[in-house]
Amino acid sequence: MDPTIAVAEARVFLPTALAERTGGQRMVTAAGGSVSELIAALDARYPGLGFHLCYETGELRPFVNIFVNGANIRYLRGLETAVPPGASVTILPSVAGG
Amino acid sequence: MANTTSYPSGTVMVLAGTKRGLFLFTSRDRQTWTCEGPILKGHTIYYATLDQRSGRRLFVADNGVFFGSFLRYSDDFGDTWQEPERGIQFSEESGEKLKNIWMIEPGRREEPGTIYAGVDPANLWESHDSGVTWELNAALASHPTREHWNPGAGGLCLHTIIPDYSNPKRMWLGISAVGCVRTDDGGASWTFANKNTRADFQPDKYPEFGQCLHRMVQHPQQPDVLYQQNHCGVYRSMNGGDDWADMRGSLPSDFGFPIALDPHAPETVFTIVEDGEARQNVTEQFTIYRTRDGMETWETLTNGLPSGPGVRLGVLRHGMTTDSADPCGVYVGTNTGQIFASADCGDSWRLIADFLPSIYSVSAFVIE
Repeated sequence: MDPTIAVAEARVFLPTALAERTGGQRMVTAAGGSVSELIAALDARYPGLGFHLCYETGELRPFVNIFVNGANIRYLRGLETAVPPGASVTILPSVAGG
Repeated sequence: MANTTSYPSGTVMVLAGTKRGLFLFTSRDRQTWTCEGPILKGHTIYYATLDQRSGRRLFVADNGVFFGSFLRYSDDFGDTWQEPERGIQFSEESGEKLKNIWMIEPGRREEPGTIYAGVDPANLWESHDSGVTWELNAALASHPTREHWNPGAGGLCLHTIIPDYSNPKRMWLGISAVGCVRTDDGGASWTFANKNTRADFQPDKYPEFGQCLHRMVQHPQQPDVLYQQNHCGVYRSMNGGDDWADMRGSLPSDFGFPIALDPHAPETVFTIVEDGEARQNVTEQFTIYRTRDGMETWETLTNGLPSGPGVRLGVLRHGMTTDSADPCGVYVGTNTGQIFASADCGDSWRLIADFLPSIYSVSAFVIE
């Protein structure tokens, strides 16, 4: 690995509903030291993706769940949860319906 | 799958926004209909409109349950979609969060690039480049009474926008549960226009604002004449909203959502009133109500509409519309997925669609 790269890119797994933003890709990569930085990087690459995840205020939407290496960030530090180098980040909508 | 058809001039098109996708109905004779959809499969479409002032641009209010609200537009009837370069999003500093986009309303004929959008929380957005970039109306956003505005059951939604065709400085808005709001200076300031409309759910039954206006339309030949269906009655104004008269007359309920008129005979107005608690037809007969004399008297329209103990239909505020053909077509979409259509100004009705997802809106156009 190039030692000048401070933060390795995370692998971000997206639900089908958001793949329209990424040209149909269900897995993309992005760099960010925290989830909020990761979202900003995703939005820069795929404009509009960030607004799917967060309100204008920056608050995470209530039915969006983000898992960093399998842990729900709501039970960690929310959007300030650290994203370790090479992390696996999964974005899922809440279960809804019957 | 979206369509790839181009529609000849004279085609009647009905757009049905539903809980799960957009459906597009077309007909050459208003007897036989072709259904295409769902377009934007699974998306929650509160409203759709076709702007024909400069080309054919289809706009939708796409409100996702999970992933936010977006205005989208298509220049090929839904084959491909675009989003604004600067869309409907509040600034971070405002502290506001977009909950839903409720209405997309093309502006006046002589300003073909202008289009308006109404949202929850109640705000007016405007575009002057056919939807590519959007600006928030600052005067409404900072209205001095705003902190006293309260939502109705559907939210604090700006659902009706009427740019006055006779006066480029005048416009009316309908907000639940704020009421009718008017500008006379091109949106630089807004005043309430609710005199004599009732708010039974308030301690003061006739407040300056706080009414639950459900839908409002403007007479296309007499610009000061407005009709509204309210949570608490139907009303007519003869003076641009300076005051209103209760025109319920023989209607069996005060409560209803939609209202529409015949553009060729604008004293002909259609409404649907419901049991206010059940929010369904009042009796076992699903009924649409029509006046031919500007709300002075009402008649019931039932020819072709269902009845029976199991018939309990609800129609939401954008669930009824008319087309611009003559005699006018009338279209009613229910929250249980039926569309009833009349090609003779309401005299008779036919079921043209069933088993759709819950219908939030219908809008009708004659392709130019």
